[in-house]
Amino acid sequence: MRLSRGDLLFVSVVSALAGLAFAIVASSCAPRRQAAEEGVLQVSETEQTESFIRNFNPLLEVGDVRWAAKNSMYEPMLIHNPIKGVYVPWLAESYRWEDTKLIFALRHEVLWSDGQPFRARDVVFTFELLKKFDALDTRGVWRFLAGVRAVDDFTVEVSFRRSYVPGLFFIGQQPIVPEHIWKDVADPVSFTNENPVATGPFTEVAWFRTQAYQVNRNPHYWQKGKPAVQSLRFIALPGNDQSVLAMINGELDWAGDFVPAIDRVYVAKDPEHYHYWFPLIDGMVMLYTNTSEPPYDDERVRKAISMAIDRELVVEVAMHGYSKPADGTGLNEGYEKYRSPEAVARGASWVKYDLGAASALLDTVGLKKGADGWRRKPDGSVWEVNVNCPAGWTDWVRAAQAIARGLQKAGIHATLRAYDYNTWFDKVQNGDFDLTVGWTEPGPTPYGLYRNLMSTETKKPKGQASAENWHRYGSLEADVLLARLEQTLDPAEEMRLTYELEMLFATHAPAIPLFPGPLWGQYDSNRFEGFPDKDNPYAPLSPHNSPQPLLVLPELRPR
Amino acid sequence: MKFLLRRVGFYLVAAWASLTLAFFVPRLMPGDPAHALYARFHGKLGPEAIESLSKALGLSHDPLWKQYFGYLGHVLRGDLGVSVSYFPAPVIDVIGVALGWTVLLTGFAVILSFIVGTLLGVYASWKRNGALDRIAPPLLTFLSAFPYFWLAMVALFVGGLTLHLFPLRHAYADYIAPSFSGEFLWSVAGHAFLPAATVVIATLGGWMLGMRSTMVAVMGEDYITLAHAKGLTPNRVMFRYAARNALLPNVTSFGMALGFVLSGSLLTEIIFSYPGQGYLLFQAVRSLDYPLLQGLFLTITFAVLGANFLVDVVYVWLDPRAR
Repeated sequence: MRLSRGDLLFVSVVSALAGLAFAIVASSCAPRRQAAEEGVLQVSETEQTESFIRNFNPLLEVGDVRWAAKNSMYEPMLIHNPIKGVYVPWLAESYRWEDTKLIFALRHEVLWSDGQPFRARDVVFTFELLKKFDALDTRGVWRFLAGVRAVDDFTVEVSFRRSYVPGLFFIGQQPIVPEHIWKDVADPVSFTNENPVATGPFTEVAWFRTQAYQVNRNPHYWQKGKPAVQSLRFIALPGNDQSVLAMINGELDWAGDFVPAIDRVYVAKDPEHYHYWFPLIDGMVMLYTNTSEPPYDDERVRKAISMAIDRELVVEVAMHGYSKPADGTGLNEGYEKYRSPEAVARGASWVKYDLGAASALLDTVGLKKGADGWRRKPDGSVWEVNVNCPAGWTDWVRAAQAIARGLQKAGIHATLRAYDYNTWFDKVQNGDFDLTVGWTEPGPTPYGLYRNLMSTETKKPKGQASAENWHRYGSLEADVLLARLEQTLDPAEEMRLTYELEMLFATHAPAIPLFPGPLWGQYDSNRFEGFPDKDNPYAPLSPHNSPQPLLVLPELRPR
Repeated sequence: MKFLLRRVGFYLVAAWASLTLAFFVPRLMPGDPAHALYARFHGKLGPEAIESLSKALGLSHDPLWKQYFGYLGHVLRGDLGVSVSYFPAPVIDVIGVALGWTVLLTGFAVILSFIVGTLLGVYASWKRNGALDRIAPPLLTFLSAFPYFWLAMVALFVGGLTLHLFPLRHAYADYIAPSFSGEFLWSVAGHAFLPAATVVIATLGGWMLGMRSTMVAVMGEDYITLAHAKGLTPNRVMFRYAARNALLPNVTSFGMALGFVLSGSLLTEIIFSYPGQGYLLFQAVRSLDYPLLQGLFLTITFAVLGANFLVDVVYVWLDPRAR
């Protein structure tokens, strides 16, 4: 090739300039690997976003409320610890039931971060706020409450309209706001509470920028000598990939995100300090069948579908082996003390992978194979089964793929349908599906789980959208058991009723349990210690389940 | 002048049409913001939450036409409403933060790419079969064949994670408070370098090839030969005679590209956690944030229209026949 002097000159000048620019920018902007100073704990925000809005309103579920509001600033009276299965007394020292009344005895030593004392009137005020602004009552507590009053400065009496023991979870865990500040707030729904006054371990907003913010510790915290950590810092991360990058780079001391192949991707980068703990206490992942439509209204069909699912494979391909196959009770590992051996035995037959048994069962209900190998409905047409899942939820999509393949092996003409998330959810709620992967709501006891899975109260008629009980299954037997469970305070009675519900579930298979969801949690022990893990399981490790991080924050110490 | 006035009329109609589309298109998607929000909690909220969420968000149950006229009225008064995904922040504030960074990053990258690419095209065609003409087109075509987000990921991995030359995320270092200090501006430049470079590299080829091919055609024209014959300097012929005429198609594409700057380079912004408009758009669609979607469509369409108007003006200046 002929190169003229001009060409050479031009090319060399351009490349020299580019190289120079690169070198200057690169040398002056090399990132500091550990951006945070000593004593500053870097925590992953639950909300994945690129820019933060300054909003510390703990009563809001909607929109964009900063992590610190519900996890380090505002505290509830009780915190349910799902690892131990107990309520940890927090702003309340103790609680007791008196008939349909719930009495909380509050701690005397608690101060708000502005130095004002915390009193029973603050609790009453908070619940009155939920009553007045029902947009804040996300848990719907006023559906079963009659009134909340302060007996004296340190005693709160919550009266129920009827006996409803499961209400304790929502009452106890309600974040409490200070009356002396919030009484002047005209509209607490759109209040962004930029300078919070709260009782928690970290309340002082040191600085706030759209990409990052820092909260310093509360000088008046009621746990004397705690927290040992100076401040919490949060950086805006728009997605899981960016979180993983930050974790590997030592920019997150405490996180709770799904990481694929975590031993290789994360732990291997610093095996001595990078740790994770994924206890199986998040909601059970289910395969819901549309029980309002034939043939799914027949429990034998549901069981046959369940038998055609290789759960070992599903857990391996969809969850990287982080979970394990479910049993026939649908209970995750947070409910271990409730698990009935009889119900497990009853369900064992239909949660075991057994294509032969599945085929035999389908043959007996009349869904026989045609000449082309696909099963036919009684009217002779091919039985088409769509397995729905939200597109982009890669773990669920892979699970649904494995399920569809298993069903095909049993001669069922199954097709995977990954829909845009909003479309998927719309279909789920309107009962417009054959099979769909879906979640269940984790709670303090199996009551909520089984109410959602089996009560006629949550079952909406066909054609009406439903936010719960998507598979539209109702059992009058379950109703009776659930109603009694709402009233009993006797642990033995509670256990007996729960056992019966489990038996009912294992007998009729209203939904098909796949695997219990892991609660993601990672920590980096380079700079801090005291995190919970499987050797020291005092609380869940995940920072994303408010208010549980409040159990962890006071226990952390700089190394 | 008449040409420009006619264009203004056209733009007014286009603006109304886009306002209307921005209102109706998001509402064609299934579901509503409260349900989208509820689904985002992945089962951590009870079903009773949906009702309280709709109340908090102030979702209207008025007939659509009533909502539409209400919306038009509000927009005329400059009120874009309150964002759902960033509740209770007003849409104006949410977009305001992102807009600046997007204009800075993508705007700078697009302009740089246009200028450098066009100049490369001019020089390459001026010295047909010269070194530049042989090396640059295949190389740049090769580079622009990569998806820009893939380039971004490689750049982040190599420049950020492996070599630690560049920051991994954000528009400036977290430990610096925004100000007009040298330190802050350096930090902004350093953070913008990789994302801007990936956009430039991926788009340079298009500008260069476009310019080169029109230049080659123009240079066959008689008036170029005449200009040479008159004894004008090569530079003058190259820029005032050839490039000026060959620039028209590139200017049109530039107008388009400039208009789309505001939609951001979605994936680039996500990969570098850059706080721009692209990610907002993604977030707004995901959470069915109607007000934010409307606001974003509005800024994007107005930017496209504005850029096109600029192009029209430039055309009048470049090409006397359009006057």
